[in-house]
Amino acid sequence: MNFIYAFLLLLFAFFFQTSITGINRKVMARLQRRRGPRWFQQYIDIFKAMSKGSTSHGWIFDFGVIMALGGIMATAILIPIGPLKAFPDVDNIFIITYLLAVGMLGMAMSASGSGNPWASIGVSRALTNMLAYDVPFMVLIVSFIFAFKTSSLSGFAALQQGAGVMGWNFFRFPLGGILALICLQGMLGKKPFDSFIAPAEIASGPMVEYGGRHLGMLFLLHEFSTFIEVSIIVHIFFGGGASPLEFMIKYALLYTFMNIIAGVFPRFKIDQAVKFYYKVPLALAFIQGLIIIFTGLGVS
Amino acid sequence: MLKMNSMNSIYENLNSKFNILSVDYPDDMQMAIDLEEKDIHTVLAYLKSDGYTQLSILTCVDWLKEGVLQLVYVIFNWDSGIHILVRTKLDRDKPLFRTVMEIYPGAEFYERDVHEFFGVEFEGNERSYKHLFLELWDAEPPMRKDFDTQAYSDKKYAPREYKSKFISEKGGEK
Amino acid sequence: MEIISNNLEKDKKDMRKVWEKIGDYFRANSIWMMWYCTGCGAIEMPPTMTSRFDMEQLGMGPMATPRQADVLLITGYLSAKTLRRVIYSYEQMQDPKYVIGFGSCTINGGIYYDSYATMKQLDHYLPVDLYIAGCMPRPEAVMNGFDTLISMIKKGEAKGWKHYQENYDWYHENQLHSLGEVYVKDEFHE
Repeated sequence: MNFIYAFLLLLFAFFFQTSITGINRKVMARLQRRRGPRWFQQYIDIFKAMSKGSTSHGWIFDFGVIMALGGIMATAILIPIGPLKAFPDVDNIFIITYLLAVGMLGMAMSASGSGNPWASIGVSRALTNMLAYDVPFMVLIVSFIFAFKTSSLSGFAALQQGAGVMGWNFFRFPLGGILALICLQGMLGKKPFDSFIAPAEIASGPMVEYGGRHLGMLFLLHEFSTFIEVSIIVHIFFGGGASPLEFMIKYALLYTFMNIIAGVFPRFKIDQAVKFYYKVPLALAFIQGLIIIFTGLGVS
Repeated sequence: MLKMNSMNSIYENLNSKFNILSVDYPDDMQMAIDLEEKDIHTVLAYLKSDGYTQLSILTCVDWLKEGVLQLVYVIFNWDSGIHILVRTKLDRDKPLFRTVMEIYPGAEFYERDVHEFFGVEFEGNERSYKHLFLELWDAEPPMRKDFDTQAYSDKKYAPREYKSKFISEKGGEK
Repeated sequence: MEIISNNLEKDKKDMRKVWEKIGDYFRANSIWMMWYCTGCGAIEMPPTMTSRFDMEQLGMGPMATPRQADVLLITGYLSAKTLRRVIYSYEQMQDPKYVIGFGSCTINGGIYYDSYATMKQLDHYLPVDLYIAGCMPRPEAVMNGFDTLISMIKKGEAKGWKHYQENYDWYHENQLHSLGEVYVKDEFHE
């Protein structure tokens, strides 16, 4: 029964996130005063990529993509949608973070297996970027776990519900909330932290050798990983959702907000991004952590 | 006037030291001097020590009727903003010259360029035989005036055949 | 040339299966073009891409590498040196792939018809699905051309890539005659 549930959840994640991506392409176009593509353009792109032929560059290249997609999908089934959960009691933030790394490493392995120098540069930038945003984010999460004595996503969400909007962690811990949004921007790989994709400089980085079906799988992977990352933030900082609909609305608004921010920024170089993360967000994370541990401000 | 005076003084100075065949002022802040082949290296070395540190370009002009190829070294002084065009003439049938890489190292690529397009050979520049622009070139140097580009183009790159003729033999549209 | 026109006759009949038609629908509505500016006509692409004409409303967009791209734009004036790279890039692209020739230079050499380095007809070397005439075509003409390409793909008429596979010998012979060798030889490939 759980597995049918998990399968449905994956389907939901794909259709929900892909639709929102399509709508966001339209939002971005309006931001730039264009007409923009139709809202289902993202589906057409994915299915088109799947319908084309593709070249293999050895078994590491093929296997890495499948491993990445599998890892990400395995992570996605752990994410609760509002009160609905496929596997209760395993929506632990540590499990999710570790499983997410399987996907990222599969991607890195596959891209390096293609033998293209741009791919290696892109992968090294992506992993550097991950190291940059993960440290402040984890400092914050650990202090949250210390404060609330729980580490599950639904646990965090349940603690915030019932007190209205002002009960959300984003408003109870404003420093941490802002920092989490900055880290989310890095996780999503959106501007200004998208130096590992950078089509004009390193020819789209890790994706440089992918075409056809392989590229289609990467698009799927990107949709699922976006779903996971945004969901984590919605659960921890915006109170999850008492009903699936509430969760979906919060999710859509948050993702659109991040996209609009991305729409008006230029791109950081990778060293600038790392420097930025280790200065502002890390300082914010420590301040927020010290406040939580020593004063308990906002916890009760 | 000041500019002209300073250009004149540069010319006087050069003329007192070297044998300058003719001088010309193509533009403000530009002076062109013609020299004999053997003087080029000494003049360039002298001018470089005098502040003309940049070789802007080395190019070549084909004088078909006179039967000469003219090399033009355009050098530039960043302090005064003055260009000097140092020119010399080579025999068109056997263009052979010595490299100026010891004076301006960047000349290597200009010399390869001139060798490729005009067929001038530069002694001392080992890589001047390598192609810089024209990969796998299989005819005489294309920038010489007696090179028939139309014939070469028709031979190598098939022209499109039209069923009706748009341009009449006498010229002008039908 | 005869081979191509014969093939065109043969392809007039619609012999596609149902899933091929569905695939063609997707391929027609999501065309990614390669970001390789081969000549001066590339300057017409920025206005076509950005807010004024907004290519994305047709589902088109630029892609960074030949592996990801569907359409190769030959934007004008194609020299012998560029053609080698273009053939390399074209052969790296994944199957259903399309070629658009921009401007008079790709059709008959344009104003450079007597140059020692300019290709005079692109369809001798690569299978061209569509020519957009002009020197250079304005963005309106370019958008119109893209629209034509989309309807061609929907009807299954854009079959250049199949002709290239079937008549590879003919194309390769032409390439060798004009280029000597399709192999890229320069300072960076030694």
